[in-house]
Amino acid sequence: MGASNIARGQIVKGISYLVLELSFIFYLIWRGIDDLAGLATLGTKEQEMVYNEAKGIYEVVKGDNSMIMLLLGITAIFVVAFFAIVWKANLKSAIAAQEYKASGKKVPGIIDDIRSLFDSNLHKLLLSIPIIGLIITTVLPLFYMILMAFTNYNMTHQPPGKLFTWVGLENFRIMLMSADKLGYTFWRIFEWTLIWAVMATFSNYFLGMFLAILINSKGIKGKGFWRTIFVISVAVPSFVTLLVIRIMMNDHGALNILLMELGFTSKSIPFFTNPDIARITVILVNLWIGIPHTMLITTGILVNIPSELYESARIDGAGPVKSFLHITMPYMIFITTPYLITNFIFNINNFNAIYFLTGGGPSTLEYFKGAGKTDLLVTWLYRLTVESWDYCYAATIGIVIFLISAAGSLIVYRKSASYRKEEEFSNG
Amino acid sequence: MDKKTTTLNQRYCNFIPLSGLLLTLSIFLPFFKVKDSQISKSMLKLFVMFADDRALFEKSRMLQIIILLMASSVVFVLAASVFCMLCRKRISALLSLTAFLFASLSAVVILFTVTSAVNASGLIEGKFLVRFLGSGYWSYFILSFTGLVFSMLTCRISPGYIVLTVLSVIWLVPIAWIVMISFRAEPGSYTSYFFPKKFTLDNYITLLTDNSQFHYVKWFINTTIVAAASCLLTSIIVLSTSYTLSRLRFKGRKRFMDILLVLGMFPGFMSMIAVYYILKGLGITQSLLALIMVYSGGAAMKYYIAKGFFDTIPKSLDEAAYIDGATKWYVFTRITIPLSKPIIMYTLLEAFMIPWADYIFASVIMGDKYENYTLALGLFLMLDRANIATWYTRFAAGAVLVSIPIAILFIALQKYYSASLTGSVKG
Repeated sequence: MGASNIARGQIVKGISYLVLELSFIFYLIWRGIDDLAGLATLGTKEQEMVYNEAKGIYEVVKGDNSMIMLLLGITAIFVVAFFAIVWKANLKSAIAAQEYKASGKKVPGIIDDIRSLFDSNLHKLLLSIPIIGLIITTVLPLFYMILMAFTNYNMTHQPPGKLFTWVGLENFRIMLMSADKLGYTFWRIFEWTLIWAVMATFSNYFLGMFLAILINSKGIKGKGFWRTIFVISVAVPSFVTLLVIRIMMNDHGALNILLMELGFTSKSIPFFTNPDIARITVILVNLWIGIPHTMLITTGILVNIPSELYESARIDGAGPVKSFLHITMPYMIFITTPYLITNFIFNINNFNAIYFLTGGGPSTLEYFKGAGKTDLLVTWLYRLTVESWDYCYAATIGIVIFLISAAGSLIVYRKSASYRKEEEFSNG
Repeated sequence: MDKKTTTLNQRYCNFIPLSGLLLTLSIFLPFFKVKDSQISKSMLKLFVMFADDRALFEKSRMLQIIILLMASSVVFVLAASVFCMLCRKRISALLSLTAFLFASLSAVVILFTVTSAVNASGLIEGKFLVRFLGSGYWSYFILSFTGLVFSMLTCRISPGYIVLTVLSVIWLVPIAWIVMISFRAEPGSYTSYFFPKKFTLDNYITLLTDNSQFHYVKWFINTTIVAAASCLLTSIIVLSTSYTLSRLRFKGRKRFMDILLVLGMFPGFMSMIAVYYILKGLGITQSLLALIMVYSGGAAMKYYIAKGFFDTIPKSLDEAAYIDGATKWYVFTRITIPLSKPIIMYTLLEAFMIPWADYIFASVIMGDKYENYTLALGLFLMLDRANIATWYTRFAAGAVLVSIPIAILFIALQKYYSASLTGSVKG
């Protein structure tokens, strides 16, 4: 590799290709082949206790660590894929160099290459850091977790003590199609996640928009003042608000004490301990957090609706309700569809709102390992990883969440105006 | 017609005296009714009792005030209604506006004080509850607000103010409450009363100086470092990705956008365990650097809002520059970036807020290394069962201090926040 570039005068480029190739071969021999083989088996030697006669004690003999092997195996795959890309680039640049030579033009040197990064190849320069970051912190870990869904890496198979191995689609079968407690829990939590996401997204959207319209309506003076009042609550970090509200609405919290002191109720309301009330509470509290946010975002769009539309509607005799239904709503929905989708996905994954408020509780014995009635799939995923180390089930849930979000939104998003008509804004 | 009446909205004028008269009638309905002991008293009865024998109410000054409030507001409303019927001038509309405002405010005050007032007076046996309030009170309550709305409509003042005021109270009370708790002198998480008995600054002082258990100041510095660094890195990544995707044309652009979209649909922390082991492999777990990497690594996935903004900048600007021989880099840094102030502000702000408030990644990465904790982790720790009794009020102080910088930033930059979603060039 690289010989062709060197022969045609691109010394630096040629040498770097050569170095890359050599280091790749070195990597393969040193680690890569073993790692790839390990990926297939995930370890064969289990850690065991062996009696050491000389010392007269049991000693731990290290076995294979399935988890490290899985991770290294995936890294090896990525290195191979990276090398394939380099190899392809090498071929391309060799051909290009040859063509330059053949047509009698000057072959671009390293300085020209660097200069092109700021001009015709600017996209390569600008995307390099984002892509490297993505691969290390997102793509690689994701592959790892996706593969984990096809293993039996649960509480009883914890490395380094135990091995885990490939089980194919077994986790999906248990989770989605069996009458097992795990399956039962999954469907109940799945139901609640969807209800929550729909309720949280749409209630916030419409009420937030209502607030924005109210503040922007003609008769209201001091718009900045009113907006600021609501912005204050957006500005407080959400974990602070949620923790504060959790304390306030506790069984012996300030809200209950206040309600009793004022005589609204004779005993404290179980905001977080009764399953049904807890579900209503989290939706309401989420409104408290979400409405100002939506208000802020929709305000900008509302201000930009062309006022001629309203004028002509008024001349045609449309009242405020009619012009809202036929001008404001369609316009807003048109512009905010991507926002609505991202918000829906955000709510499916709204870890903070649930974890800080209820911690998923009230937990119930009907569910797998004490999952709670307000647990969303994500908080359940978190508890499965952090509390009970059932990584394979957590990974399975992660994939299911992905499928839900992907299925709906990719279709809608690709159909939405801002994706299809991206050219029209700037050209029109 | 004279000039003043034209500013009035005559359509609603008749409803003012109507609600006023109905309101007056509500004094004959039972004000409160205790089912168990068969006690039922109308407002009129209370007025008569009050006028008759003031000693009956000696025990509860609050109840005296309530009765006075009700009596005066009913008289006031009645007078305004009659006045309104007789002359339809701006002055009468304004008068009824004040009367109904007074009545509705009294109704709210009564709602919140009646329990303690009646309990103190000894008028009934046992405890009073709000649900004992009868049809008399509720019609007084509803009619005073109806009257208020009609008077506002007549004066061409938007009744939206009522809704906004109520909502503001709902949104400000929790914030005011936490500020109040942060100054409370009595420690402990639960008190049997709502308003603190004594106020102090000690919570703040202890929080900032006592490092024996929690390193609040250190956490604050950590969070600031992490948030600032990842804010910068994230913004660079987001802006360059979205600019590339919006303006530069190259092979695989649409596919790259789709890949980013798909990646963004996996729950972000599904991969946290793997991230943890990768960071461990790099030897940087439990460090601030690891956090910065985690927060900004995947930033490219958040390209779409900024891309939408860049899409609205007219392409003709770029083309003019290209004709003059500018490179793409020059166009990006000298033409596009200066035009994109709103979206840059928006990106910076969002990128700053996320690490400032994140809990999950920080908790997985930091484990038990307390001195490298961020504020979210630390504050959550203070509410731990073992700490809550002593640290509760200090938690409140901490929460207030966390919110102040963000609140200032946010209020200062809010105009960019909504402008960023609407595009660069208006019209």
